[in-house]
Amino acid sequence: MFDQFDDAVERVVRHLRRPVSIDPALDQRVMQKIAALPPPSRGVWRWLTARREVALSPLGALGIAAAVAAAFIGVWRMRVTPPPASAPDSALHGFQFVLVEPRAVKVSLVGDFNDWDATRTPMHRTSRDGLWSAVVSLQPGRYRYAFLIDGRHWLADPAAPTAGDDDYGAPSSVVTVGGGGS
Amino acid sequence: MTRLVTRDVVALLGGVLVMTRAVAQQTDARLERLDETTRPAVIAIVDSVRAAGLPVNPLVERALEGATKGAPPDVIVAAVRRLAGDLGRARDALGPGATAIELNAGAEALRAGAGPDVLARLRRARGRQSVTMALAVFTDLVARGVPVDTAATAVLALAATVRDEDLVEFRRAVERDIAIGAPPAAAASIRLNAAAREARPGRP
Repeated sequence: MFDQFDDAVERVVRHLRRPVSIDPALDQRVMQKIAALPPPSRGVWRWLTARREVALSPLGALGIAAAVAAAFIGVWRMRVTPPPASAPDSALHGFQFVLVEPRAVKVSLVGDFNDWDATRTPMHRTSRDGLWSAVVSLQPGRYRYAFLIDGRHWLADPAAPTAGDDDYGAPSSVVTVGGGGS
Repeated sequence: MTRLVTRDVVALLGGVLVMTRAVAQQTDARLERLDETTRPAVIAIVDSVRAAGLPVNPLVERALEGATKGAPPDVIVAAVRRLAGDLGRARDALGPGATAIELNAGAEALRAGAGPDVLARLRRARGRQSVTMALAVFTDLVARGVPVDTAATAVLALAATVRDEDLVEFRRAVERDIAIGAPPAAAASIRLNAAAREARPGRP
């Protein structure tokens, strides 16, 4: 009767004694599963101070560099730009420029206030007597300007002081706008 | 610690240097109007002036004025370089706290013939008030033919006590007198004496 059991036991033992073959990639798969698990909560400070791996491509590094450079330049420019003397100085004042030029077909007002662009401030003929006029909003400061007659001839404003340095052989006038618009 | 490898660090630092230089030397788009001969020379002056903490807009405007008036490249560059020097001398005279507007007016006053000592004395006379209008009135008087010494004396005498509006009115009065035939020096002196009498009523 027990011989039957002995035989069964021996078969079980033989089966259990056979070497078990384990997949060599098992360790790697287990570690990947662990790494994928959410980290345990250990507090804000440990989260902030935990070391992490950072990998940057050269393009990413250049992007970060551009951001750092832009921030640096922004701070630098804020440092070198002097603040306005006072709040009222930033106000705009409307200035009317007039010229009597009966024979002109076209007159442009050109100066520091429009980057010396002859197309930006055309003057308007306001009467048959040849009175030309333009109104420009100016911030406080000192501006050089001149009239360009028919796109060819430069003329200083006969009603305003002439700029002292005539570097370019065509005279300019100056207007000074104070904080009070004077 | 990290896998921020040497190659990435070098790229990062190199990028910072390149971008910092590129942004710092960002060219004013208005200067694109200058021809290819003038532009690099003007940009070099503008960059050096910016690095010195001086205002660059007057330089850009002076260059654009030359370009619009058709001036030769060497004349434009010379004018911009001269203005850059005047801005530096104006800051030396007016102090590091001078605003961009004051420096521009100071540069023009120097060009008109004022010595640095005149700028410094005006700065002291005006105290915390802007010195822009006083400098502008000086320059305008000289442009109208008033001798430099007379204009400086007049503006210095008025600067300590009067407002900007009064300085402008003084200049207008002198200009009116000149327009009707008064010699510029005499016009300035007479108007200065009149202003002094107004400030001291009861005296002849």
